[in-house]
Amino acid sequence: MSVEVEVNENDLAEMVEQVWESYLDPEGVSPLMQTYDENQASEVHSSVSITGSWTGHIVYASSMPAARRAAGAFLAMEPDEVSEEDLSDALGELANIIGGNVKAMLPPGALLSLPQVVLAPEATARYPNAHRITGVYGIWDGEPVSISMWQSRGDNKEGAE
Amino acid sequence: MKILIADDSRVMRQIVIRTLRQAGFGDHELIEAANGREAVEMTQAHSPDLVLSDWNMPELTGIEALRQLRAAGNDVKFGFVTSESTPEMKEQAEAAGALFFIVKPFSAERFDEVFAPILG
Repeated sequence: MSVEVEVNENDLAEMVEQVWESYLDPEGVSPLMQTYDENQASEVHSSVSITGSWTGHIVYASSMPAARRAAGAFLAMEPDEVSEEDLSDALGELANIIGGNVKAMLPPGALLSLPQVVLAPEATARYPNAHRITGVYGIWDGEPVSISMWQSRGDNKEGAE
Repeated sequence: MKILIADDSRVMRQIVIRTLRQAGFGDHELIEAANGREAVEMTQAHSPDLVLSDWNMPELTGIEALRQLRAAGNDVKFGFVTSESTPEMKEQAEAAGALFFIVKPFSAERFDEVFAPILG
């Protein structure tokens, strides 16, 4: 099955904003400031896969301080008190929340995987036969955070290179 | 009342608990399950008044857990708190006997709106 992707950068940015408003920056004092730099560095990342009516991956990547800060915000703890287990859990949940919201915008018949977390830079990840179609890249309190969508080539008319 | 929170993410269980408190439901007894199978077992063992369940979990998904409970004759009030929400999932949830469907990210206001009629 081949579908046009129906989720664009603005949709993704809106979902990300909701996550910040709900959990990471409820006071509205440190939003994610977009840099539009798709090559910004990361130290950790998490992802969920979507298969079915659309096939690809949603990837959340950030620096380690940003990951600690996110886990701290989730758990109402100081970032340096966060355990590695909670850090991984929070990263997975970030990919899961955004992935779930992306899935809701896709045609019926898409399945979401459980999240995968890798405490290594996004640059170490390989998504076979997939390419990045859109993303939100920004700085959160001085630290890099990005959320990107990778589409499997077999599922994308533009993918036949 | 006793409320069971089922989510494979401890972090998300903590957020659900905090949001319940923020929405004014912190006085209820809260118990936790880390996957769908635990949710079924704990519902049968501890008889909560309400189950808030994630959808996508290891062992058993939330919808499978709900179906197992209903098949076993358990009619506990049950609803979903999940990042996924599609019309087909909502239909499945309703058909299986779910009372509500809360989408992540959620707010204390949303919890209040859904739980005030149930928890009083």
